[in-house]
Amino acid sequence: MDSTLPAVAEELLKEIKKAFQETSQVPDDLLLGLKFIFGPSAVPALDLVDQRSVTRVKSPSGRTAYQVLGSSGKLYTCYSSCHFCTCPAFGFAVLQKSESLLCKHILAVYLSQAMGACQELTVSEEQLTSILLAEEEEEG
Amino acid sequence: RGGLAERLCRLQNRERSAISFWRHQCTADAKIPADKSGVLIVKILEIFEECTIQVAICQQLEQSPATLSSEDATISAGEPILKVLFARETAAHLKSRPQDVIHIYPPWQKLLLKNTDVPVIMNTYFSQKVLLSEHSEPRENTHGLTKMLVRKNIISLAQTFSLDDHDQELHQQPSDNQVACGPQIRNNCDSNQHPLARSVVNDSLLEMVESQGAMGWREVQVRVVIQRVYCLPAREGYRSHIQGNKPLCATPIVNSDPPNVRLCLLVQDAYGMFSEVQLQSLSSADDIEQYGRRWEGKFCCLAGMKIQQRTTRGRASGLFSLIDSLWPPVVPVKVPGQSQDSEMMTAHLPPPSFCYILTVQAGEIHVEVDEEEQISNLYQPPTVHGLKDILQINGCNQRCSFWAQVLYLRLQAKQSVNQREVWLFVTDSTLQDGVHITPKVVAVSVAASCVLGTEITAALAAASRLVFFKDVLWGNGRIICVERTVLLLQKPLLYSAAGADLSELTGPVRLDELDSTTQANSICALRGTVVGVNESTAFSWPTCDKCGNGKLELCPQDRGLLYCNQCCEVVVSPVLKMQLEVFLSCPSRPQSTVRVKVWHKMSSGLFVLINMLLSLQSYEVQSVLGKEVGLLNCYVHSATSHPNCVALEEIVLL
Repeated sequence: MDSTLPAVAEELLKEIKKAFQETSQVPDDLLLGLKFIFGPSAVPALDLVDQRSVTRVKSPSGRTAYQVLGSSGKLYTCYSSCHFCTCPAFGFAVLQKSESLLCKHILAVYLSQAMGACQELTVSEEQLTSILLAEEEEEG
Repeated sequence: RGGLAERLCRLQNRERSAISFWRHQCTADAKIPADKSGVLIVKILEIFEECTIQVAICQQLEQSPATLSSEDATISAGEPILKVLFARETAAHLKSRPQDVIHIYPPWQKLLLKNTDVPVIMNTYFSQKVLLSEHSEPRENTHGLTKMLVRKNIISLAQTFSLDDHDQELHQQPSDNQVACGPQIRNNCDSNQHPLARSVVNDSLLEMVESQGAMGWREVQVRVVIQRVYCLPAREGYRSHIQGNKPLCATPIVNSDPPNVRLCLLVQDAYGMFSEVQLQSLSSADDIEQYGRRWEGKFCCLAGMKIQQRTTRGRASGLFSLIDSLWPPVVPVKVPGQSQDSEMMTAHLPPPSFCYILTVQAGEIHVEVDEEEQISNLYQPPTVHGLKDILQINGCNQRCSFWAQVLYLRLQAKQSVNQREVWLFVTDSTLQDGVHITPKVVAVSVAASCVLGTEITAALAAASRLVFFKDVLWGNGRIICVERTVLLLQKPLLYSAAGADLSELTGPVRLDELDSTTQANSICALRGTVVGVNESTAFSWPTCDKCGNGKLELCPQDRGLLYCNQCCEVVVSPVLKMQLEVFLSCPSRPQSTVRVKVWHKMSSGLFVLINMLLSLQSYEVQSVLGKEVGLLNCYVHSATSHPNCVALEEIVLL
């Protein structure tokens, strides 16, 4: 049986983008929908959007990645071509336990896209490569 | 806007209290409540789990099954199928199994996905299982004994979400469809056959934007005034061709790929609100001068627009610096909601804080410019100032316009050719006739974001031209051409000269003389005497005797001959040019070490010396020491005070 949740999540995000484009606001029912689908990630993700924590990093060749400034001050990298984030919550809740679709950082990326809240940064190819290949420095 | 997180927290708390209140009510009252409107009655057919959310494939029932017999409660084909999602906590509370009937009380939400017929029901917190009394007892027993195993779907991480509209194919920009056809803008003379002629014409952009969701855009037209026409580099679909080690070609400013540019209009409605309308892609910005002449100041009708973005001052400072230069409006504007008899004092209106960016939908006529009509009173033509006044403006990020002579051009290539920065050294009569304090020549930088047409780039490289700089940015003591700046070879039809003297320059152009205030990246004139030479910099190269091209190539047919690719001929007798760095003592900057690379105007003594240096003959530096050099026009590479030295390069003015 094909999965249902991703299509639902995508449609919800699209509705948010549309509502935001038309009225510059997100209606209450869509916010509650976010909470329903994404659970505990919803409020932290919105907080990251409020803080404009998401940066879209791109290089001259057209490659992109996202960097999200977490609440602890750490910078996490989210990929654009698949759902991946360097934060420990992603590793645990999404990869290991399949308990969540996304972590709060990836959700913040999508919400920032929907509301035009992404900061933009252009870097060289070398810099983008080093962002994507960055080693995890902390343990746990 | 801020505080989305806070808002959701508040909504969520309210919801939670509603849920717990409702649950208490339900357990207290075990009976099935009478059917109220808005209650969904579903029968579960299949359950599985995805990321803690329970997905139940259900059949929607018309009535509560308590009123049906057990036989009727079986599946009948033709009843609508739904996908009902339950949150983890609700699912734990319900403990549903296939064949269970659930009542879902409002508020719940329905989501329709594209490409499927099955609607999705979410926010199903207020759900209650209906117990069919005949079956309840045996059910309870089995319930306790076997734990229900629910299949869990693992979601692939490879599937990302696309938030773009699915009306167009992914990654295809609407403008791609429009490049082949001509500009989607028609003159008013065709209005008889115009499909939009019958719809109502509005004069408020905000109303058009706000009504988009309700009616769709096609029926609504807005009449606006075109304040500015310019080209913007198109970011999407931008192909960057890295040139690698290829040397810059003869006309280095122009990128050899067709630049992707979009024709844009900055429009203003009768209420004073601005909007930037991005029209179709052009292959080059050559016609921008024409479009500007024909359209600026005229009325036009917009229809079928799509909102690309609602941007604010903080995020689009370039756009807002242009809007600020057009504020306040020169005629009274309407006030929404008030009767229009009252005159609005526009001088006290605050400048706009947001602006909608609109784009065209594929394939339709959208913008009709009334070229026959008169210029609108709302139009504010560019105000031209003399360079002397511009240099004295106090402020940052101000847009201004001027008319100046380009004396010299320098290309500064950054990381790739696409990020070229061009420096133009310009002057006008206000600077040439000015007193000592103001410089005689000013450097203007042209960023890569400022779109230049091929005609103007060729003209700039060829000879000294008078150029109209429209809406450049002045700030921090620098004049920069950025996005929305337009360079024109002719003065526009309309401009207001704020007391500027726009007369042509009479007499030869004078440069500032090298002195203690000379800074890097400027041009100046100098004279001095030779006090030393830098032998290792002696260099010679052949040039074409016909056109002076200094970059000759080896002939492919005969590697012993030289070929000029500008004249497209073999160069039979090339002219040998030489250069050498000399150290001068300049009376105008006495304490400095002045190092100049000379190559153009050279004394015979210097010429002979270089020859000897190059041919490794023994030479006599004495022959050139003490000789006068000057008046040379130079570009200043660097100028430092500690140590006190200046490095320059002789230049030839256009």
